[in-house]
Amino acid sequence: MSDAETPFSIAVPDDQLELLKQKLELTRFPDELEDAGRDYGAPLADIQRLTKYWKDVHLPKWREHEAKLNEELPQFTRDIEVDGFGTLNIHYVHQKSTVVDAVPLLFVHGWPGSFVEVRKILPLLVEASPDHPSFHVVAIGLPSYGFSQGPSKKGFKCEQYAEVSNKLMLSLGYNEYVTQGGDWGALITKRIAQLYGPKHSKAWHTNMPLAGPPQLTQSPLLFLSHHLFKYSPKERAGIDRTNWFEEKGSGYFKEQSTQPQTLGYSLADSPVGLLGWIYEKLVNWTDEYPWTEDEVLTWVSIYWFSRAGPAASIRIYYEILQGSLQGVSQNMATPIPLGHSYFPKEIAIHPRRWLKAANPTLIFESEHESGGHFAAYERPEALVGDLRKMFGRGGPAFGVVPGKTGF
Amino acid sequence: MSNTEAPFRISIPDDELESLKQKLALTRFPDELEDAGRDYGAPLADIQRLTNHWKDTYLSKWREHEAKLNEDFPQFTRDIEVDGFGTLNIHYVHKKSTVVDAVPLLFVHGWPGSFLEARKILPLLVEDSPEHPSFHVVVVSLPGYGFSEAPKKKGFGVPQYAEIGHKLMLALGYNEYVTQGGDWGSLITRKIAQVYGPKHSKAWHTNTPIGEAPHPTRRPWLLLSYLLFTLSPKEKAGLERTKWFQEKGIGYFKEQSTQPQTLGYSLADSPVGLLGWIYEKLVNWTDEYPWTDDEVLTWISIYWFSRAGPAASVRIYYEVSNQSPEGFARNIETPIPVGHSYFPKELAVLPRSWIKASNPTLVFESEHEGGGHFAAHERPEGLVSDLRKMFGKGGPAFGVVPGKTGYV
Repeated sequence: MSDAETPFSIAVPDDQLELLKQKLELTRFPDELEDAGRDYGAPLADIQRLTKYWKDVHLPKWREHEAKLNEELPQFTRDIEVDGFGTLNIHYVHQKSTVVDAVPLLFVHGWPGSFVEVRKILPLLVEASPDHPSFHVVAIGLPSYGFSQGPSKKGFKCEQYAEVSNKLMLSLGYNEYVTQGGDWGALITKRIAQLYGPKHSKAWHTNMPLAGPPQLTQSPLLFLSHHLFKYSPKERAGIDRTNWFEEKGSGYFKEQSTQPQTLGYSLADSPVGLLGWIYEKLVNWTDEYPWTEDEVLTWVSIYWFSRAGPAASIRIYYEILQGSLQGVSQNMATPIPLGHSYFPKEIAIHPRRWLKAANPTLIFESEHESGGHFAAYERPEALVGDLRKMFGRGGPAFGVVPGKTGF
Repeated sequence: MSNTEAPFRISIPDDELESLKQKLALTRFPDELEDAGRDYGAPLADIQRLTNHWKDTYLSKWREHEAKLNEDFPQFTRDIEVDGFGTLNIHYVHKKSTVVDAVPLLFVHGWPGSFLEARKILPLLVEDSPEHPSFHVVVVSLPGYGFSEAPKKKGFGVPQYAEIGHKLMLALGYNEYVTQGGDWGSLITRKIAQVYGPKHSKAWHTNTPIGEAPHPTRRPWLLLSYLLFTLSPKEKAGLERTKWFQEKGIGYFKEQSTQPQTLGYSLADSPVGLLGWIYEKLVNWTDEYPWTDDEVLTWISIYWFSRAGPAASVRIYYEVSNQSPEGFARNIETPIPVGHSYFPKELAVLPRSWIKASNPTLVFESEHEGGGHFAAHERPEGLVSDLRKMFGKGGPAFGVVPGKTGYV
């Protein structure tokens, strides 16, 4: 295979910075109802504060933020061919550990995430130590996200995202690897496991464990227990959280999975519109994570300055789920070992027995007292701690990649 | 009651025109997938064409469009007090017929509509003729829409919108009146019928009729008949349409009823974002209506230049959804006569038996071969003809407002 890898540094053109500056200066804010709190959406005071900071501080210092990202995250691009979609130029982070036989690990983000989500776990994962395994880390920028090209044709589904990811690992010389993913990353790494495991993908870990409610015909005993036996207070809280998401927090999902182009005009044209749309999730989906303005704005800037534009990033909802959340929890079984990390403020939290029933290859579970949807960013030590336990000596997935134990 | 009525003319300040101009000049478009058609949302080619027209032609001629609006619509504002919400300054159109005893009619719009929707039906309704009844027409701009003030407090729901509509009619001296409404206007005029009828509201007409679906415990016989007897081809097509809307066309509804403020940042800040958000509905909800670019942009401009801003207009979804978590297809009955007009491209096209079962005071029905959700705009003659039949001599609601039959 030809090595078409090119080192990459984020270098947003000056005219894009200038355009953003002009748009921010023309921002027109809505009003807000008295005592709205967070009930009606992202609070006006937050959005005004963030917009002002963006205009006056973050944007003028963009080159510093850019430099820091480039310093922390060694980035590359390479062309990857996807059956039926031609060649896509894919952006990714790749950092090898000094430990030669480190475990190759592919990290897959979701929406509204990006490769930036690997920022805190990267140094922890590659770190060499006799006490825990090390990893060679690849953090892919999914097509249409960050600085990866997006598909130009309809129908780019889970299989295609899985294909790009697998081909990326193979092209980097990682014939066998493990994966970690949340949000879309969970569905995509699951598909990788199903399509490319156990030959290439040897084990997978997710911080967004999935299962559907028990069906009478498929799991009669589970179905009965669902109706007969109580759930623990933690499980009840999890069910309430899941219900909250479906009833109050999934409007974005419904729009993105049915009319993404319509929404796309706003996200492409309005920085404050994009900010509001994403910030609401950064707050509601995390466990009181103390976002700084710079953190939020860097996160949103990756979308604003993305190669394919922010409108492209949401098409995945349409292509894969077509308006219904049901598809998320179907077809769960994989032929390779699976590990779960449970965070209490995840947006879909299912009772443990549903998860065990839906995931027969589950070999690792770890429960946390705090943390939410963006685990790698909110709880980097905890997430890495779980991966080290799962893949380390004595762990249930130790040595799952032959010859690459991480030590 | 003190009379705070003041004549009103739309007169957008120059700095707002300038701000819009600058924003349009800075528009950043998304890309689009090949062969997307309308499947993924409003098509890029349409939005680009409309945006360019807005920037290059329409906006620079805004004063002409404004003048024409002021010519077509005699407008006013007045203060109306709403229990628990204080006083709101309400914008409305008021046109009397030359027929002294014309039927007082309140027209209530919805979202993404506005007072503008009455533009074509207004001259037809007030028109004097021995062949049909005439109406004195009041077109209210709902709070948060057009040039009406928006409520500042949480909880402004259907009862409050109904209170506004009713108090406006009383303030104008119409102690007894009839109503016409679609979309939110249908829920609001239904509430007016329930709360203020038959004392004040004497009859109501809607072009977005609904009925409760058959249900094993609430409507068992209807469910049984539904299962036993086949639906007509038209009814099947109607259910397909309804299904399409519930599965593919309802994203805006889900967002607006749960996180309206989040969406509001986009609608307030981005003209092309607002355009895309509304235009998709103007196309998908109508029956191949041949929108001109000017028509679309005038429609959007009412939102862009609205007194409360476009973000305020979507809060109704949140407030009403919170107050009616069981859904909107309940508590449909009213104590006064109701008339329905059925248009095939409406968003919820339900079997006639379901609708009749929920509307025991149904006195008038009219089925149309074409037309969609914005009936007053798409099929003005059709809608007005229905109102003339319903309220005219020999009609089922003739003389329902004592002394105001609509004739000389």
